[in-house]
Amino acid sequence: MHGLCYFLQLFSTYFQAFMTTTLLEKEKQITHFSFTGKGTEYFAIEIVNLLLTVFTLGLYYPWAKAKSLQYLYRKTELAGTPFVFHGTGKEMFIGFIKGLGIFVVLYGILMYGVFSEDPGTFLITYGIFMLGLLMLMPLALHGMMRYRTSRSSWRGIHLGYRGELSDMYATYLVGFFLTILTLGIYGSWFVVKLRKQMIDNVRFGNVKLRYVGDGADLFLIHLKGFFFSIFTLGIYFFWYTKNLLYFYVNNIVVLQEDGTYSRLQCHVSGWEVLKLTVGNLLIVIFTLGLGIPLTTTRTMSLIMNNTVMSGHFDADALVQTEEAYDSATYESMTDMMDIGVI
Amino acid sequence: MIFEGKYYNGQSSKGMPAQIALLADGLRIDYCADEVCGSVHWELAGIHQSEFNDVTTLLRYGKFPQQSISVVDKGFKEALQQHYQGAAFLKSGYNSVLNWGFSGIAIMALSLLGLLVAFVIWGVPALADRVAMHFPQSYERQLGEQLYAKMLQGYQVNEEKTAALNEYLSELETDLDYPITAAVVTSDEVNAFAIPGGYVVVYEGILNKMEHHEELAALMGHELAHVQKRHSLRALTRSLSYYMLASVLFGDVSGVAAVLVDNASALRNLEYSRSLELEADREGLELLHRNELNPQGVILLMERLQRGSESEMLDFISTHPNTGERMKVLNEMIGEGEQPYKKNPELEWHWEKLRH
Repeated sequence: MHGLCYFLQLFSTYFQAFMTTTLLEKEKQITHFSFTGKGTEYFAIEIVNLLLTVFTLGLYYPWAKAKSLQYLYRKTELAGTPFVFHGTGKEMFIGFIKGLGIFVVLYGILMYGVFSEDPGTFLITYGIFMLGLLMLMPLALHGMMRYRTSRSSWRGIHLGYRGELSDMYATYLVGFFLTILTLGIYGSWFVVKLRKQMIDNVRFGNVKLRYVGDGADLFLIHLKGFFFSIFTLGIYFFWYTKNLLYFYVNNIVVLQEDGTYSRLQCHVSGWEVLKLTVGNLLIVIFTLGLGIPLTTTRTMSLIMNNTVMSGHFDADALVQTEEAYDSATYESMTDMMDIGVI
Repeated sequence: MIFEGKYYNGQSSKGMPAQIALLADGLRIDYCADEVCGSVHWELAGIHQSEFNDVTTLLRYGKFPQQSISVVDKGFKEALQQHYQGAAFLKSGYNSVLNWGFSGIAIMALSLLGLLVAFVIWGVPALADRVAMHFPQSYERQLGEQLYAKMLQGYQVNEEKTAALNEYLSELETDLDYPITAAVVTSDEVNAFAIPGGYVVVYEGILNKMEHHEELAALMGHELAHVQKRHSLRALTRSLSYYMLASVLFGDVSGVAAVLVDNASALRNLEYSRSLELEADREGLELLHRNELNPQGVILLMERLQRGSESEMLDFISTHPNTGERMKVLNEMIGEGEQPYKKNPELEWHWEKLRH
């Protein structure tokens, strides 16, 4: 196991070094991301969503979700062209109902155990419940990747996800148990493996993505973030967040078919993260939560307007590789569990 | 009318310079790139709904893989509206809301904020009340048991007097849906309070002030009415409803139970509304009538509480405002003239034990 890890590390170092050299040889080119959404617009959309969701006792939620994603995608641009979200409320409703069904069954089993008032039965049902949640996670992640990517396009070219569900299960379950066995230390490596599983399988037409982050780096970021945050009475937390953002974004490499590539680069500073977070907090408090959409556009603006693709990216050379799609099973399921893995 | 834009054919990301003409039955797009030129016709029915456009207008057409055009020209958007008024691809409820502009959206936001504030001020307590009224009795009893145990931890229970008080209560005809459990705690405070599910805590201080057992009966009648009519549960859910709201919003439901128990001490100072106090007073009087005891017991209790020295009385009075007004109402209820009542040797015997 150790030998394998060492080999992988060596390989990734070599890979990175190799990439830097090729990058230097050729001329660097910058492709910008940008976010053109306005707080007031998104606020109005979300208010309409909220009202319709309340008046339909929650049934409108999937349509609301679709609408807000359509807006956010439409206002996110790469090289001056916006993304398009093709998901519909109907698709998401089906996913929502399926997700809800699974949760109702799982909670039903748990409730049965709680009300039986028998410790043995309770433990068994609790075990089934936790196991059910554990088994659901990879399914939900896989489904979310498939759904989100297939419904996203840019200049008419759809993204796609080629990952296998069995690989996701293997990655997830092995990582999960190793994390428990190592009392959480393996968690950083687990997160990186999961990101590799998800991002490496993304296709953007004929372009592939690679995640080149290293678990040890993430571990160090966490370690440093934890202790520095304590020593600085929490002030370092914003720089810690910035480091995490860098780690997640800047390690994404976009590979073109001819071997040229570019890298995502995020330039948000810790100070900007601080201003964003404090501002968002004040907005939420003083609007009793109604202002949450404003915090979304603020966050999107900061990140997107400070992110570029650096290296070689031929915006005109993408070719459609996806086939027509269907099935919306999983989108809302992950949403309900609200796990921020991406 | 002809507009300049980019055409994407759905196969490649290459934006081809195009000229877009608005025809009666659809759009005609003539594109030319790298010596490859072509022309496509888009029927109106095949154009997908187009929302949230700004300076750039994005239109998509047909089945997967969709073709699309992007036109950076405000005039294009307006021309579409004029040419194809009412066409399906231009319809959008959301866009019409966005067209209200800043002030329209601000007005909507403010009225919603008003609604939200109103909900927090009136809606939440009303909901809390409904929750309390529909709370299953067995759970109420369980909750009460926990609160009661927690409550007594901070006090020394006078076992003898507690036994006497419980015997006294068992002699009383109470017409209660709950089994009663009462405790007398050692404290000079002049106080007594009810806990949901049939639990009552009485301080020695208030017992020492009393001279007739009818006063105790009246006090018990009052407190038990709080239990029977679920006043205590309602006040509890009310005072905790905001915390519950926050917990539900932030997904921390398990916290509610912990806070319920942690706030047991808050029960001592729960405030009931004026109408609830009067209802409890009325029930207390009713209890005296039912047991054929002297109805003046209620008045005596009130007087005694009112006359007592200020500092001692503060606790009970502060949570039971308007003693004067309540006495007035009670006097009206008792009415003029002598009322028949009997002595109750059993109750008096337990009362004697309670006093010493």
